[in-house]
Amino acid sequence: MSSPAYAAPVPSLPARRKRDWGRVVRTIAAAAVAIFFFLPILWWMLASIKPTQEILSVPPKLFGFDPTLNWYRVVLGNADPTQFNVETTGSVGRGSGGSTFFSLPYLRDSAIVGLGSTALVLLLSAPAAYAMSRFAMRRRKDLAFWILSQRMMPPIVAAFPLFFMFRQFHWIDTYHGLILVHAAMNAPLAVLLLMSFFDEIPRDLDDAARVDGATRFGAFLIGLNLVKGGLVATAVLAFIFSWNEFLLSLVLTTGVIRTVPVASSTFTTAFLTEWGYLAALGVASMVPIFIFILLVQRHLVRGLTLGAVK
Amino acid sequence: MANVEQVAALDDRRQALAGIQHSARRRSPWFLSSDRPWIWLLPVVLLLLFIGIYPFVYNIWNSFREFSPMTGQVEPVGWANWQRLLQELADPGSRLRSALMTTTIYVVAALVIEFVIGLGIAVLFNSGIWGGIFWQSLIILPMVVPPTVAAVMFKVLENPEYGALAYYLQNLGITDKAEPLLGGTGKYAIAAVLIPDIWQWTPFFVLILLAGLKALPTEPLEASQVDGATSWQTFWSVTLPMLRPMIAIAVLFRLVDLLKVFDYIFVLTSGGPGTKTEVLSFYAYQRSFTTIEWGYGSVLGLLILVIAIVVATLFVRIFKVSW
Repeated sequence: MSSPAYAAPVPSLPARRKRDWGRVVRTIAAAAVAIFFFLPILWWMLASIKPTQEILSVPPKLFGFDPTLNWYRVVLGNADPTQFNVETTGSVGRGSGGSTFFSLPYLRDSAIVGLGSTALVLLLSAPAAYAMSRFAMRRRKDLAFWILSQRMMPPIVAAFPLFFMFRQFHWIDTYHGLILVHAAMNAPLAVLLLMSFFDEIPRDLDDAARVDGATRFGAFLIGLNLVKGGLVATAVLAFIFSWNEFLLSLVLTTGVIRTVPVASSTFTTAFLTEWGYLAALGVASMVPIFIFILLVQRHLVRGLTLGAVK
Repeated sequence: MANVEQVAALDDRRQALAGIQHSARRRSPWFLSSDRPWIWLLPVVLLLLFIGIYPFVYNIWNSFREFSPMTGQVEPVGWANWQRLLQELADPGSRLRSALMTTTIYVVAALVIEFVIGLGIAVLFNSGIWGGIFWQSLIILPMVVPPTVAAVMFKVLENPEYGALAYYLQNLGITDKAEPLLGGTGKYAIAAVLIPDIWQWTPFFVLILLAGLKALPTEPLEASQVDGATSWQTFWSVTLPMLRPMIAIAVLFRLVDLLKVFDYIFVLTSGGPGTKTEVLSFYAYQRSFTTIEWGYGSVLGLLILVIAIVVATLFVRIFKVSW
């Protein structure tokens, strides 16, 4: 007789034999591993409140340094970097390409592009995902694979043609240009992921709605209403991928618009690297993303595999 | 009683649905009231043409032209760029051959290391520990750090003079003063660019394999234990084979992304020292944007795309990944 599906998972044998000691040891090991992976982030967070000589001292100190908020004052508060000469010896107060260390504009640009492209890709992908989930389609599998294959396009292959197209259209350094590109980049994710969410709604619901006199569009809206959780998860992932995207943003802008990843890369010049500013900007750009991702953790596996793993 | 409540709830729901339907009927745009799928698919297909098909076609067209520094114009060159590709492929000492080799080493090393460590951690996290969700939340954070930011972080950590990681590795006797992680003759340069990759993407395997482990049926495991198998035997001959579809999907996604790797190399080493860490993407980038050989850059871009599609398709066939 097979055990029912709702039975509690059976702990592995050692757990049953040695009970709690084994569990304690394994928990400590798991904690150690997780903390080990967190260490670089912790170190970076500490670096953002350390003076330069402390950032650059080995071994790194967890405690016992004079914390400073100067990096944040410049990066988020537009303080004059030259007044903190002690920390920025040799700095000319600017990054390569004339970028300022004041980073609110970069965060703003990244946010505009991220939110715009997420809204656009959801708007365009949701009907497609719905159609692929609901309509009788002979080549549904092929279509899904074709959409998936678009994800294989290396950004470097797309970057060059897009650069020329953008120059022709005068789209370099425009929000709508980057929004369009990032939306296109996230389209495979959005379509396949939303499709997997639509697939979970029973078809009867559509049929019932249509019998009641709803149009296809009405049934679609009802469906959308039922996959709200999936929409949020898709939106968060699309936003994160746009927020982190580097190469296309690098090639399609010249500095009038700078997203955070591109701006970070300008904080290292040929002569010196502004570690403090980099750390402060890094933390300011990571923390919101951490919060988002923890909010949709439940759908993360499905999202990362484009709906292949439920 | 319960029935009455259920009916009332159902009624509420119906009314809510009717409300949505009503407003939907009024605002229903003509192009979405259709039952023809292509109308629904058109917007997204147009979007994909823009980033998928257009660059592909452009690169083919561009591969028959080249920027001439003498005239400052782009001029038709016939098959010259493709001949150059064949020559580079045939010459064992060429930059392209070296880039192919570097990419292969990078991809294989990253896949093997990330998979093995990821599987180990997933099994550990699945072994009935306290606070599993908390540790899992902690370990997924590296995945969402922007890759450029991660690369910059490790650029400091691996710096031979003041990097913490470089310091510890040297104290452990793994690297030495003459051959640090970054710099020197570049003995460990590949490891230096692999480290941020491994840090960011091992959690990806942990997450997917953990989901797989949690979804496994328990009966075969119990049966194997009843039959007196050691936990190692059970893992090797029961758990692992059952986990195969999840492993295949995780490896496929990493494989496709690894073939495109660019950010870490751009930030950490710029392909150096020499061309020791120059992967295909970076080589194509150099040709297109640094030495301004646009046409040849297009040829290299197409080569990467073909490799990615061939590898992914073969993988899907061999490991029978289904959608």
